[in-house]
Amino acid sequence: MSATSKLAYFVRTAVGSIVRSPFVHVIAVASLSLSLLGFGVARLARAQLDALVDSLGGEVELTVYLAGDAPAEQVAELERALTQRTGGEVRRVSPAEALGRLATQLGEDGKGLTELSDNPLPWSLEVRLPKAARDPAALADLATRTRALPFVTGVDYGEEALARLTMIARALEIASLIVFSLVFLTAVIVVSATLQLAIFARREEIEIQKLVGATDRFVRVPFLLEGLLQGLLAAALALLAVLGLVTWLESGDGGLLAFTRLDGRLLVDWARLSAELVGIGCLLGLLGSFIAVRRFLRV
Amino acid sequence: MIQMFHVTKAYPGDPPVLVDINLDIDKGEFVFLTGPSGAGKSTLLKLMFLAERPTRGQVLLAGRNVARLRESGIPYLRRNIGVVFQDFKLLPTRTVAENVGFTLDVLGTPRDEVRDRSLKMLRRVGLEHKADVSPVKLSGGEQQRVSLARALVNDPALLLADEPTGNLDPALTVEIMDLLTDVNARGTTVVVATHDATLIERYQKRTLRLEKGTMVADERGAKAARLMSQTA
Repeated sequence: MSATSKLAYFVRTAVGSIVRSPFVHVIAVASLSLSLLGFGVARLARAQLDALVDSLGGEVELTVYLAGDAPAEQVAELERALTQRTGGEVRRVSPAEALGRLATQLGEDGKGLTELSDNPLPWSLEVRLPKAARDPAALADLATRTRALPFVTGVDYGEEALARLTMIARALEIASLIVFSLVFLTAVIVVSATLQLAIFARREEIEIQKLVGATDRFVRVPFLLEGLLQGLLAAALALLAVLGLVTWLESGDGGLLAFTRLDGRLLVDWARLSAELVGIGCLLGLLGSFIAVRRFLRV
Repeated sequence: MIQMFHVTKAYPGDPPVLVDINLDIDKGEFVFLTGPSGAGKSTLLKLMFLAERPTRGQVLLAGRNVARLRESGIPYLRRNIGVVFQDFKLLPTRTVAENVGFTLDVLGTPRDEVRDRSLKMLRRVGLEHKADVSPVKLSGGEQQRVSLARALVNDPALLLADEPTGNLDPALTVEIMDLLTDVNARGTTVVVATHDATLIERYQKRTLRLEKGTMVADERGAKAARLMSQTA
């Protein structure tokens, strides 16, 4: 009883079964790859939406307006504290710079500003907020505390915009979780049903194997191998389909779907997506086979 | 080899198929199991290769109590039992030689050896020339012989045959029976279920007779033949 001849037998049996009844296997691979395609597209969409939210939130800034007589020492200390709390970069903006910016923003209408003899704008500190520091509650707390300082005249951080952005991000999170669960559930049901169909066609073979003294493991292994092969094949097909979809969208013929593009390119982490699709494909194939073959082992 | 003590087999909702069966088949014996259709012959065979478990009573195979056998131990016991099924149970998607080799595949026998031994066995049943065709292209009698070849290819200690000559013409019946007696002469215990009275008369072996699930006779040699000719 040698392990190599057994392994050779398993591979021969698995491949032979695919060759002998291609139709059932085509259906199994098709349903698997459709499920994986659903997963891939959901992943793709999620990545684009994440990027979109990121780009919208790229300008989140906290501005602290200082009193004219703010002591330099305390301002420096506030700068340090802000850097520490938010992890962001703090910049000191002089009244002249602020006025210049405002003038540029206003364009033609702002021309008069440069002729003012007295600059009405205060010194300010601008903090570019990194993603991690954009928690609305924490920022509100920080703003309140900063406002309480005697040398601070005001704090502004686009409160409403940030709150809306956070809500969108949370909604996306929930939506993608629902989509993932639905796709996965559908996949498990469809795949195990299809595989059961494939195995039902071979219940006679299983019965005879068991009657001539095959162990359950011996009967099961070729089916698991088949499931694995189907999973791999389905993952490859799904990847190709995603690649086709991405190419089509990026080519500009994407029609209605074109809005998902950010400056003409789609964000795709191919290595990760491939690993995920292959992993999930193999898992689904194995799991589906395992569940499906169980029913027929009792002889 | 096979012992049964007060064995009853019943399926829920139906009258029992076997009632209080007691038997003792020694190693190396050749036994006919006879009786009308529906008498319980096939069920009794199924108890012998563990396709069924008794509802009541004890079954001992090669001295081992089947009731105490774990599910995972069944395959190893079955490897010593060759079974010829009434409906042959051949796989239409495999060639004749592959069907015969199925028993050896399960044991992890190397491919070449499987092929060699399958062909040798097919030669013994006179079907070597059909090795590479599908069993569906064979006649009933030929399929029966393939089924027999599969049961014997592993030199089992026990051979159970359910109507192994049921589809054969008289000449082939003699050939198959000669093969079975030959296997028996080499030490394999053989149990043949049949309702063919002429077989029992001709071979004069121990004969167990079942009627309506009950063992009504256990006779040897000429007496069994006589009994058969009276009841036939």
